[in-house]
Amino acid sequence: MGDSNRYPELRRRISPGWWRANRHYAMYMVREWTSLFVALYSLVFIYGVSLWAMGSRASFLNFLRNPAIVGFSIVALVFTMYHAVTWFYLLGAISPIKIGRSKTRPWQALVLNLILLVIVSYLAIWLLVLR
Amino acid sequence: MKVETHKIARLHAILWGIFSLGGMIAAFLLPVLIYLTAIAYPFSLWPFNGTKDPSFLITGHRLGALFIFVTIAGSLYHGIFRFQSVLTEVGLLKYRRALEAIGYFIIFVGIIVLAYYLATWYLNGTIS
Amino acid sequence: MGQDIATIRVTRYRPEKDSKPYFQEYKVPYRQDMVILDALNYIKAEIDGSLTYRWSCRMGVCGSCGANIDGEPKLTCASFLHDFKGRTITVEPMTNFPVIKDLVVDMEDFMEKLVKIKPWIIREKETPPEQGEYKQSAQELERYSQFSSCINCMLCYAACPIYGLNEKFLGPAATALAYRYIEDSRDQGKDVRFPIVHEMEGVWECTLVGECSVVCPKGVDPMLAIQKAKILGATNALKSLLMPRGGR
Repeated sequence: MGDSNRYPELRRRISPGWWRANRHYAMYMVREWTSLFVALYSLVFIYGVSLWAMGSRASFLNFLRNPAIVGFSIVALVFTMYHAVTWFYLLGAISPIKIGRSKTRPWQALVLNLILLVIVSYLAIWLLVLR
Repeated sequence: MKVETHKIARLHAILWGIFSLGGMIAAFLLPVLIYLTAIAYPFSLWPFNGTKDPSFLITGHRLGALFIFVTIAGSLYHGIFRFQSVLTEVGLLKYRRALEAIGYFIIFVGIIVLAYYLATWYLNGTIS
Repeated sequence: MGQDIATIRVTRYRPEKDSKPYFQEYKVPYRQDMVILDALNYIKAEIDGSLTYRWSCRMGVCGSCGANIDGEPKLTCASFLHDFKGRTITVEPMTNFPVIKDLVVDMEDFMEKLVKIKPWIIREKETPPEQGEYKQSAQELERYSQFSSCINCMLCYAACPIYGLNEKFLGPAATALAYRYIEDSRDQGKDVRFPIVHEMEGVWECTLVGECSVVCPKGVDPMLAIQKAKILGATNALKSLLMPRGGR
Protein backbone atom coordinates (compact mmCIF):
# COMPACT_ATOMS: atom_id res chain seq x y z
CA MET A 1 0.00 0.00 0.00
CA GLY A 2 3.08 2.21 -0.29
CA ASP A 3 1.86 4.21 -3.28
CA SER A 4 -1.35 5.36 -1.62
CA ASN A 5 0.74 7.07 1.01
CA ARG A 6 2.95 8.84 -1.51
CA TYR A 7 0.29 10.02 -3.90
CA PRO A 8 -2.73 12.11 -2.96
CA GLU A 9 -6.13 10.46 -2.89
CA LEU A 10 -8.91 12.13 -4.79
CA ARG A 11 -11.38 13.53 -2.31
CA ARG A 12 -14.72 14.48 -3.77
CA ARG A 13 -16.93 16.88 -1.84
CA ILE A 14 -20.67 16.30 -1.88
CA SER A 15 -22.44 19.34 -3.30
CA PRO A 16 -25.51 21.00 -1.73
CA GLY A 17 -27.39 19.97 -4.87
CA TRP A 18 -26.69 16.27 -4.28
CA TRP A 19 -30.39 15.54 -4.10
CA ARG A 20 -30.89 16.40 -7.77
CA ALA A 21 -28.86 13.37 -8.86
CA ASN A 22 -31.81 10.99 -9.00
CA ARG A 23 -35.55 10.77 -8.50
CA HIS A 24 -35.39 8.98 -5.14
CA TYR A 25 -33.28 11.74 -3.64
CA ALA A 26 -35.52 14.45 -5.09
CA MET A 27 -38.65 12.81 -3.69
CA TYR A 28 -36.88 12.48 -0.34
CA MET A 29 -36.21 16.25 -0.35
CA VAL A 30 -39.86 17.02 -1.15
CA ARG A 31 -40.90 14.75 1.69
CA GLU A 32 -38.57 16.46 4.13
CA TRP A 33 -39.58 19.97 3.07
CA THR A 34 -43.16 19.22 4.12
CA SER A 35 -41.77 19.85 7.62
CA LEU A 36 -41.38 23.55 6.77
CA PHE A 37 -45.09 23.88 6.07
CA VAL A 38 -46.06 21.89 9.15
CA ALA A 39 -43.87 24.15 11.30
CA LEU A 40 -45.00 27.36 9.58
CA TYR A 41 -48.68 26.48 9.84
CA SER A 42 -48.24 25.80 13.55
CA LEU A 43 -46.57 29.19 14.06
CA VAL A 44 -49.25 30.96 12.02
CA PHE A 45 -51.95 29.22 14.06
CA ILE A 46 -50.31 30.26 17.32
CA TYR A 47 -50.24 33.82 15.99
CA GLY A 48 -53.96 33.54 15.22
CA VAL A 49 -54.65 32.25 18.69
CA SER A 50 -52.76 35.24 20.11
CA LEU A 51 -55.14 37.55 18.23
CA TRP A 52 -57.99 36.14 20.25
CA ALA A 53 -56.11 36.41 23.49
CA MET A 54 -55.10 40.03 22.78
CA GLY A 55 -58.30 41.09 21.09
CA SER A 56 -61.52 39.22 20.73
CA ARG A 57 -62.93 35.98 19.41
CA ALA A 58 -64.15 37.90 16.38
CA SER A 59 -60.62 38.94 15.46
CA PHE A 60 -59.55 35.29 15.53
CA LEU A 61 -62.49 34.22 13.37
CA ASN A 62 -61.70 37.05 10.94
CA PHE A 63 -58.12 35.86 10.85
CA LEU A 64 -59.33 32.38 9.89
CA ARG A 65 -61.40 33.87 7.06
CA ASN A 66 -58.57 36.04 5.71
CA PRO A 67 -57.94 34.92 2.09
CA ALA A 68 -54.16 34.92 2.52
CA ILE A 69 -54.48 32.68 5.57
CA VAL A 70 -56.95 30.40 3.81
CA GLY A 71 -54.64 30.15 0.80
CA PHE A 72 -51.57 29.42 2.88
CA SER A 73 -53.50 26.89 4.99
CA ILE A 74 -54.69 24.98 1.95
CA VAL A 75 -51.11 24.79 0.65
CA ALA A 76 -50.05 23.64 4.13
CA LEU A 77 -52.80 21.01 4.05
CA VAL A 78 -51.51 19.61 0.76
CA PHE A 79 -48.01 19.31 2.23
CA THR A 80 -49.39 17.90 5.49
CA MET A 81 -51.24 15.21 3.56
CA TYR A 82 -48.05 14.40 1.68
CA HIS A 83 -46.29 14.10 5.03
CA ALA A 84 -49.06 11.81 6.28
CA VAL A 85 -48.95 9.58 3.22
CA THR A 86 -45.13 9.23 3.28
CA TRP A 87 -45.17 8.77 7.06
CA PHE A 88 -47.67 5.92 6.77
CA TYR A 89 -45.57 4.30 4.06
CA LEU A 90 -42.48 4.55 6.27
CA LEU A 91 -44.38 3.02 9.19
CA GLY A 92 -45.11 0.09 6.92
CA ALA A 93 -41.48 -0.14 5.81
CA ILE A 94 -40.12 -0.27 9.36
CA SER A 95 -42.71 -2.58 10.89
CA PRO A 96 -43.35 -5.46 8.53
CA ILE A 97 -45.72 -7.94 10.15
CA LYS A 98 -45.26 -11.59 9.48
CA ILE A 99 -48.42 -13.35 8.34
CA GLY A 100 -47.70 -17.00 7.84
CA ARG A 101 -44.70 -17.13 5.55
CA SER A 102 -45.04 -13.71 3.96
CA LYS A 103 -44.52 -10.19 5.27
CA THR A 104 -46.80 -7.17 4.99
CA ARG A 105 -45.75 -4.61 2.41
CA PRO A 106 -45.48 -0.84 3.03
CA TRP A 107 -48.35 0.11 0.72
CA GLN A 108 -50.66 -2.05 2.82
CA ALA A 109 -49.73 -0.04 5.91
CA LEU A 110 -50.34 3.10 3.87
CA VAL A 111 -53.91 2.06 3.00
CA LEU A 112 -54.63 0.90 6.54
CA ASN A 113 -53.39 4.12 8.10
CA LEU A 114 -55.25 6.27 5.59
CA ILE A 115 -58.45 4.53 6.65
CA LEU A 116 -57.44 5.14 10.26
CA LEU A 117 -56.88 8.81 9.45
CA VAL A 118 -60.41 9.12 8.09
CA ILE A 119 -61.80 7.43 11.21
CA VAL A 120 -59.76 9.62 13.59
CA SER A 121 -60.74 12.77 11.68
CA TYR A 122 -64.41 11.90 11.81
CA LEU A 123 -64.09 11.12 15.52
CA ALA A 124 -62.45 14.51 16.11
CA ILE A 125 -65.20 16.31 14.24
CA TRP A 126 -67.88 14.39 16.12
CA LEU A 127 -66.29 15.02 19.53
CA LEU A 128 -65.54 18.68 18.93
CA VAL A 129 -68.26 20.04 16.66
CA LEU A 130 -71.21 17.73 16.26
CA ARG A 131 -71.76 16.81 19.88
CA MET B 1 -4.21 0.84 19.92
CA LYS B 2 -6.52 3.81 19.81
CA VAL B 3 -9.03 3.66 22.67
CA GLU B 4 -12.33 5.22 21.70
CA THR B 5 -14.97 6.34 24.12
CA HIS B 6 -18.57 6.16 23.06
CA LYS B 7 -21.35 7.93 24.87
CA ILE B 8 -24.98 7.07 24.35
CA ALA B 9 -26.81 10.20 23.25
CA ARG B 10 -29.67 9.70 25.71
CA LEU B 11 -31.05 13.22 25.42
CA HIS B 12 -31.08 13.05 21.66
CA ALA B 13 -32.76 9.65 21.80
CA ILE B 14 -35.61 11.14 23.79
CA LEU B 15 -35.80 14.21 21.57
CA TRP B 16 -36.05 11.86 18.60
CA GLY B 17 -38.80 9.90 20.33
CA ILE B 18 -40.81 13.09 20.80
CA PHE B 19 -40.17 13.95 17.16
CA SER B 20 -41.65 10.58 16.16
CA LEU B 21 -44.68 11.20 18.33
CA GLY B 22 -45.01 14.62 16.71
CA GLY B 23 -44.91 12.94 13.33
CA MET B 24 -47.88 10.75 14.30
CA ILE B 25 -49.73 13.82 15.53
CA ALA B 26 -48.98 15.79 12.38
CA ALA B 27 -50.15 12.86 10.27
CA PHE B 28 -53.33 11.95 12.16
CA LEU B 29 -54.52 15.16 13.80
CA LEU B 30 -53.21 18.11 11.80
CA PRO B 31 -55.17 17.43 8.58
CA VAL B 32 -58.55 17.61 10.29
CA LEU B 33 -57.59 20.78 12.20
CA ILE B 34 -56.56 22.53 8.98
CA TYR B 35 -59.67 21.27 7.22
CA LEU B 36 -61.96 22.60 9.96
CA THR B 37 -60.32 26.01 10.30
CA ALA B 38 -59.26 26.77 6.74
CA ILE B 39 -61.80 25.00 4.54
CA ALA B 40 -64.95 24.03 6.44
CA TYR B 41 -65.33 27.28 8.36
CA PRO B 42 -64.35 29.90 5.72
CA PHE B 43 -66.36 28.14 2.98
CA SER B 44 -69.27 27.05 5.21
CA LEU B 45 -68.77 23.38 4.41
CA TRP B 46 -69.66 20.42 6.61
CA PRO B 47 -69.65 20.43 9.63
CA PHE B 48 -69.94 24.25 9.57
CA ASN B 49 -72.62 24.37 6.88
CA GLY B 50 -75.36 25.31 9.25
CA THR B 51 -75.37 27.69 12.15
CA LYS B 52 -72.33 26.25 13.92
CA ASP B 53 -68.94 27.97 13.95
CA PRO B 54 -65.59 26.72 15.28
CA SER B 55 -67.20 26.48 18.68
CA PHE B 56 -64.61 24.04 19.84
CA LEU B 57 -62.28 27.00 20.06
CA ILE B 58 -64.48 28.76 22.58
CA THR B 59 -62.98 29.00 25.99
CA GLY B 60 -64.07 26.39 28.41
CA HIS B 61 -64.29 23.69 25.77
CA ARG B 62 -61.62 21.58 27.41
CA LEU B 63 -61.47 18.95 24.72
CA GLY B 64 -61.08 21.60 22.04
CA ALA B 65 -58.27 23.34 23.85
CA LEU B 66 -56.54 20.02 24.45
CA PHE B 67 -56.96 19.04 20.82
CA ILE B 68 -55.46 22.33 19.63
CA PHE B 69 -52.59 22.13 22.09
CA VAL B 70 -51.61 18.54 21.30
CA THR B 71 -51.97 19.01 17.54
CA ILE B 72 -50.14 22.32 17.26
CA ALA B 73 -47.43 21.58 19.84
CA GLY B 74 -46.73 18.17 18.32
CA SER B 75 -46.70 19.51 14.76
CA LEU B 76 -44.50 22.47 15.66
CA TYR B 77 -41.96 20.24 17.37
CA HIS B 78 -41.93 17.72 14.54
CA GLY B 79 -41.71 20.37 11.82
CA ILE B 80 -38.89 22.35 13.39
CA PHE B 81 -36.89 19.24 14.36
CA ARG B 82 -37.07 17.87 10.84
CA PHE B 83 -36.49 21.20 9.13
CA GLN B 84 -33.29 21.66 11.12
CA SER B 85 -31.89 18.48 9.64
CA VAL B 86 -33.12 19.42 6.15
CA LEU B 87 -31.13 22.64 6.37
CA THR B 88 -28.00 20.74 7.36
CA GLU B 89 -28.45 18.58 4.27
CA VAL B 90 -28.63 21.44 1.79
CA GLY B 91 -25.35 23.05 2.68
CA LEU B 92 -25.79 24.50 6.16
CA LEU B 93 -24.15 21.63 8.04
CA LYS B 94 -21.54 23.90 9.58
CA TYR B 95 -24.24 26.02 11.21
CA ARG B 96 -25.77 22.99 12.86
CA ARG B 97 -25.34 24.14 16.45
CA ALA B 98 -26.84 27.55 15.73
CA LEU B 99 -29.74 26.00 13.83
CA GLU B 100 -30.47 23.65 16.70
CA ALA B 101 -30.38 26.47 19.24
CA ILE B 102 -32.73 28.63 17.16
CA GLY B 103 -35.01 25.69 16.46
CA TYR B 104 -35.41 24.57 20.04
CA PHE B 105 -35.89 28.17 21.11
CA ILE B 106 -38.77 28.60 18.67
CA ILE B 107 -40.31 25.31 19.82
CA PHE B 108 -39.98 26.27 23.46
CA VAL B 109 -41.45 29.75 23.06
CA GLY B 110 -44.19 28.56 20.73
CA ILE B 111 -45.38 25.82 23.06
CA ILE B 112 -45.22 28.02 26.17
CA VAL B 113 -47.17 30.82 24.43
CA LEU B 114 -49.80 28.39 23.16
CA ALA B 115 -50.19 26.72 26.54
CA TYR B 116 -50.43 30.10 28.22
CA TYR B 117 -53.23 31.35 25.98
CA LEU B 118 -55.21 28.13 26.15
CA ALA B 119 -54.83 27.90 29.93
CA THR B 120 -55.82 31.54 30.42
CA TRP B 121 -59.02 31.05 28.47
CA TYR B 122 -59.86 27.94 30.37
CA LEU B 123 -59.39 29.67 33.71
CA ASN B 124 -61.18 32.87 32.66
CA GLY B 125 -64.20 31.19 31.13
CA THR B 126 -65.75 32.42 27.91
CA ILE B 127 -64.28 35.53 26.32
CA SER B 128 -66.56 37.48 23.95
CA MET C 1 -20.35 -11.75 -37.12
CA GLY C 2 -22.16 -8.57 -36.17
CA GLN C 3 -21.63 -8.05 -32.50
CA ASP C 4 -23.15 -5.25 -30.51
CA ILE C 5 -20.72 -2.60 -29.41
CA ALA C 6 -21.02 -0.94 -26.02
CA THR C 7 -19.43 2.40 -25.30
CA ILE C 8 -18.03 2.50 -21.78
CA ARG C 9 -16.97 5.79 -20.27
CA VAL C 10 -14.68 5.18 -17.29
CA THR C 11 -13.21 7.55 -14.75
CA ARG C 12 -9.44 7.59 -14.90
CA TYR C 13 -7.35 8.98 -12.07
CA ARG C 14 -3.66 8.32 -11.89
CA PRO C 15 -2.35 10.32 -8.94
CA GLU C 16 1.25 10.03 -10.05
CA LYS C 17 0.40 11.66 -13.37
CA ASP C 18 -2.88 13.58 -13.05
CA SER C 19 -4.03 16.10 -10.53
CA LYS C 20 -7.63 15.73 -11.70
CA PRO C 21 -9.74 12.79 -12.83
CA TYR C 22 -10.96 12.54 -16.41
CA PHE C 23 -13.16 10.24 -18.48
CA GLN C 24 -11.91 7.80 -21.07
CA GLU C 25 -14.18 6.08 -23.58
CA TYR C 26 -13.74 2.55 -24.82
CA LYS C 27 -15.71 0.56 -27.37
CA VAL C 28 -16.38 -2.99 -26.22
CA PRO C 29 -17.97 -5.73 -28.33
CA TYR C 30 -20.41 -7.69 -26.21
CA ARG C 31 -22.77 -10.65 -26.13
CA GLN C 32 -26.20 -10.81 -24.55
CA ASP C 33 -25.02 -12.20 -21.21
CA MET C 34 -22.06 -9.93 -20.55
CA VAL C 35 -21.85 -7.68 -17.53
CA ILE C 36 -19.96 -4.43 -16.94
CA LEU C 37 -17.20 -6.37 -15.21
CA ASP C 38 -16.70 -8.43 -18.38
CA ALA C 39 -16.39 -5.16 -20.31
CA LEU C 40 -13.80 -3.83 -17.85
CA ASN C 41 -11.86 -7.08 -18.10
CA TYR C 42 -12.00 -6.88 -21.89
CA ILE C 43 -10.70 -3.30 -21.79
CA LYS C 44 -7.87 -4.26 -19.47
CA ALA C 45 -6.93 -7.32 -21.51
CA GLU C 46 -7.31 -5.97 -25.05
CA ILE C 47 -7.29 -2.18 -25.06
CA ASP C 48 -5.76 -0.53 -22.01
CA GLY C 49 -3.89 -2.57 -19.42
CA SER C 50 -3.56 0.36 -17.05
CA LEU C 51 -7.28 0.45 -16.16
CA THR C 52 -7.49 -0.40 -12.46
CA TYR C 53 -10.51 -1.77 -10.57
CA ARG C 54 -11.41 -4.33 -7.92
CA TRP C 55 -13.20 -7.61 -8.57
CA SER C 56 -13.08 -11.20 -7.43
CA CYS C 57 -15.91 -13.71 -7.49
CA ARG C 58 -17.78 -12.16 -10.46
CA MET C 59 -21.01 -13.56 -9.10
CA GLY C 60 -22.24 -11.08 -6.51
CA VAL C 61 -21.04 -12.67 -3.27
CA CYS C 62 -17.66 -11.14 -2.50
CA GLY C 63 -18.60 -7.46 -2.52
CA SER C 64 -15.42 -6.29 -4.27
CA CYS C 65 -16.68 -4.76 -7.50
CA GLY C 66 -18.85 -1.84 -6.39
CA ALA C 67 -18.95 1.19 -8.68
CA ASN C 68 -21.26 4.04 -9.72
CA ILE C 69 -22.85 2.95 -12.98
CA ASP C 70 -24.71 5.83 -14.65
CA GLY C 71 -24.81 7.47 -11.25
CA GLU C 72 -26.18 4.45 -9.37
CA PRO C 73 -24.09 2.39 -6.95
CA LYS C 74 -24.08 -1.14 -8.36
CA LEU C 75 -21.92 -4.23 -8.53
CA THR C 76 -20.18 -4.30 -11.91
CA CYS C 77 -20.59 -8.07 -11.98
CA ALA C 78 -24.35 -7.73 -11.58
CA SER C 79 -25.02 -5.05 -14.19
CA PHE C 80 -25.82 -6.38 -17.65
CA LEU C 81 -24.61 -4.47 -20.68
CA HIS C 82 -27.82 -5.11 -22.61
CA ASP C 83 -29.74 -3.08 -20.00
CA PHE C 84 -27.86 -0.03 -21.31
CA LYS C 85 -28.27 -0.86 -25.00
CA GLY C 86 -27.80 2.13 -27.24
CA ARG C 87 -26.49 4.34 -24.46
CA THR C 88 -23.01 5.20 -23.32
CA ILE C 89 -22.44 3.65 -19.91
CA THR C 90 -20.59 5.79 -17.41
CA VAL C 91 -18.61 3.90 -14.78
CA GLU C 92 -17.24 5.93 -11.88
CA PRO C 93 -15.75 5.03 -8.53
CA MET C 94 -18.30 4.67 -5.71
CA THR C 95 -19.49 8.04 -4.36
CA ASN C 96 -18.48 9.30 -0.93
CA PHE C 97 -15.16 7.46 -0.84
CA PRO C 98 -11.70 8.90 -1.55
CA VAL C 99 -10.25 7.51 -4.77
CA ILE C 100 -6.86 5.82 -4.79
CA LYS C 101 -6.72 5.18 -8.52
CA ASP C 102 -9.25 4.88 -11.38
CA LEU C 103 -12.16 2.94 -9.88
CA VAL C 104 -10.39 1.84 -6.70
CA VAL C 105 -11.62 3.58 -3.55
CA ASP C 106 -10.11 3.86 -0.09
CA MET C 107 -11.99 1.48 2.22
CA GLU C 108 -10.17 2.30 5.44
CA ASP C 109 -13.02 4.24 7.06
CA PHE C 110 -15.45 1.42 6.36
CA MET C 111 -13.03 -1.20 7.66
CA GLU C 112 -12.59 0.74 10.89
CA LYS C 113 -16.33 0.95 11.37
CA LEU C 114 -16.79 -2.77 10.81
CA VAL C 115 -14.25 -3.55 13.51
CA LYS C 116 -15.58 -0.84 15.82
CA ILE C 117 -18.96 -2.52 16.27
CA LYS C 118 -17.28 -5.77 17.32
CA PRO C 119 -18.82 -8.18 14.80
CA TRP C 120 -18.54 -11.34 16.89
CA ILE C 121 -20.59 -13.05 19.58
CA ILE C 122 -19.85 -11.49 22.96
CA ARG C 123 -20.65 -13.62 25.99
CA GLU C 124 -20.58 -12.58 29.62
CA LYS C 125 -19.26 -16.02 30.33
CA GLU C 126 -18.12 -18.46 27.68
CA THR C 127 -19.36 -21.98 28.24
CA PRO C 128 -16.71 -24.59 27.45
CA PRO C 129 -17.22 -26.63 24.24
CA GLU C 130 -17.82 -29.79 26.27
CA GLN C 131 -21.12 -28.33 27.46
CA GLY C 132 -22.38 -28.31 23.91
CA GLU C 133 -23.39 -25.65 21.42
CA TYR C 134 -25.49 -22.52 22.11
CA LYS C 135 -28.95 -23.50 20.98
CA GLN C 136 -31.11 -21.19 18.90
CA SER C 137 -34.63 -21.68 17.60
CA ALA C 138 -35.78 -20.93 14.06
CA GLN C 139 -37.73 -17.91 15.36
CA GLU C 140 -34.64 -16.56 17.09
CA LEU C 141 -32.68 -16.98 13.86
CA GLU C 142 -35.44 -15.11 11.94
CA ARG C 143 -34.86 -12.01 14.04
CA TYR C 144 -31.42 -11.33 12.62
CA SER C 145 -30.76 -13.59 9.64
CA GLN C 146 -31.61 -10.97 7.01
CA PHE C 147 -29.01 -8.60 8.49
CA SER C 148 -26.33 -11.27 8.33
CA SER C 149 -26.49 -11.38 4.53
CA CYS C 150 -24.24 -8.34 4.11
CA ILE C 151 -21.33 -8.85 1.70
CA ASN C 152 -19.59 -5.60 2.71
CA CYS C 153 -19.81 -4.20 -0.81
CA MET C 154 -20.22 -0.61 0.51
CA LEU C 155 -22.86 0.29 -2.09
CA CYS C 156 -25.04 1.50 0.79
CA TYR C 157 -22.37 3.99 1.85
CA ALA C 158 -22.08 5.21 -1.73
CA ALA C 159 -25.84 5.70 -1.79
CA CYS C 160 -26.11 7.45 1.58
CA PRO C 161 -25.99 11.26 1.32
CA ILE C 162 -25.69 11.56 5.10
CA TYR C 163 -22.43 9.63 4.97
CA GLY C 164 -21.37 11.89 2.12
CA LEU C 165 -22.04 14.94 4.27
CA ASN C 166 -20.54 13.53 7.47
CA GLU C 167 -17.82 10.88 7.34
CA LYS C 168 -18.20 10.19 11.05
CA PHE C 169 -21.69 8.71 10.51
CA LEU C 170 -21.58 5.02 11.43
CA GLY C 171 -23.54 4.22 8.30
CA PRO C 172 -25.87 1.52 7.00
CA ALA C 173 -23.75 -1.64 6.77
CA ALA C 174 -21.98 -1.19 10.11
CA THR C 175 -25.24 -0.44 11.93
CA ALA C 176 -27.00 -3.38 10.27
CA LEU C 177 -24.15 -5.65 11.33
CA ALA C 178 -24.23 -4.29 14.89
CA TYR C 179 -27.99 -4.83 14.95
CA ARG C 180 -27.45 -8.38 13.65
CA TYR C 181 -25.48 -9.12 16.80
CA ILE C 182 -27.80 -7.18 19.10
CA GLU C 183 -30.69 -9.33 17.88
CA ASP C 184 -28.75 -12.58 18.02
CA SER C 185 -30.01 -14.52 21.04
CA ARG C 186 -26.57 -15.95 21.63
CA ASP C 187 -25.03 -12.51 21.98
CA GLN C 188 -24.73 -10.79 25.36
CA GLY C 189 -22.82 -7.74 24.22
CA LYS C 190 -25.54 -5.07 24.31
CA ASP C 191 -23.60 -3.01 26.87
CA VAL C 192 -20.68 -2.87 24.49
CA ARG C 193 -22.59 -2.25 21.28
CA PHE C 194 -25.26 0.19 22.39
CA PRO C 195 -22.86 3.06 23.14
CA ILE C 196 -21.43 2.73 19.63
CA VAL C 197 -24.78 2.48 17.90
CA HIS C 198 -26.55 5.07 20.03
CA GLU C 199 -23.96 7.80 20.16
CA MET C 200 -24.65 10.92 18.11
CA GLU C 201 -22.76 9.68 15.04
CA GLY C 202 -24.47 6.32 15.32
CA VAL C 203 -28.07 5.97 14.24
CA TRP C 204 -29.19 9.50 15.08
CA GLU C 205 -27.67 11.07 12.00
CA CYS C 206 -29.90 8.95 9.76
CA THR C 207 -32.89 10.77 8.27
CA LEU C 208 -34.48 7.83 6.45
CA VAL C 209 -33.37 8.65 2.93
CA GLY C 210 -33.70 4.91 2.41
CA GLU C 211 -31.42 4.70 -0.61
CA CYS C 212 -29.17 2.24 1.21
CA SER C 213 -31.86 -0.42 1.17
CA VAL C 214 -32.70 0.36 -2.46
CA VAL C 215 -29.15 -0.33 -3.70
CA CYS C 216 -28.33 -3.28 -1.45
CA PRO C 217 -27.72 -6.29 -3.71
CA LYS C 218 -28.48 -8.78 -0.93
CA GLY C 219 -31.75 -7.47 0.53
CA VAL C 220 -30.20 -6.69 3.91
CA ASP C 221 -32.41 -3.59 4.33
CA PRO C 222 -29.99 -1.60 6.51
CA MET C 223 -32.57 1.20 6.74
CA LEU C 224 -34.79 -1.18 8.69
CA ALA C 225 -31.93 -2.08 11.04
CA ILE C 226 -31.17 1.58 11.70
CA GLN C 227 -34.81 2.42 12.43
CA LYS C 228 -35.19 -0.54 14.76
CA ALA C 229 -31.98 0.52 16.51
CA LYS C 230 -33.38 4.06 16.87
CA ILE C 231 -36.53 2.69 18.48
CA LEU C 232 -34.40 0.57 20.82
CA GLY C 233 -32.36 3.64 21.70
CA ALA C 234 -35.38 5.81 22.38
CA THR C 235 -37.08 3.18 24.55
CA ASN C 236 -33.87 2.53 26.47
CA ALA C 237 -33.38 6.24 27.10
CA LEU C 238 -36.97 6.56 28.28
CA LYS C 239 -36.54 3.56 30.57
CA SER C 240 -33.36 4.99 32.07
CA LEU C 241 -35.18 8.27 32.61
CA LEU C 242 -38.18 6.70 34.32
CA MET C 243 -36.31 4.05 36.23
CA PRO C 244 -32.82 5.42 36.91
CA ARG C 245 -31.85 2.58 39.14
CA GLY C 246 -34.30 0.20 37.60
CA GLY C 247 -33.92 -3.11 35.93
CA ARG C 248 -32.98 -3.92 32.42
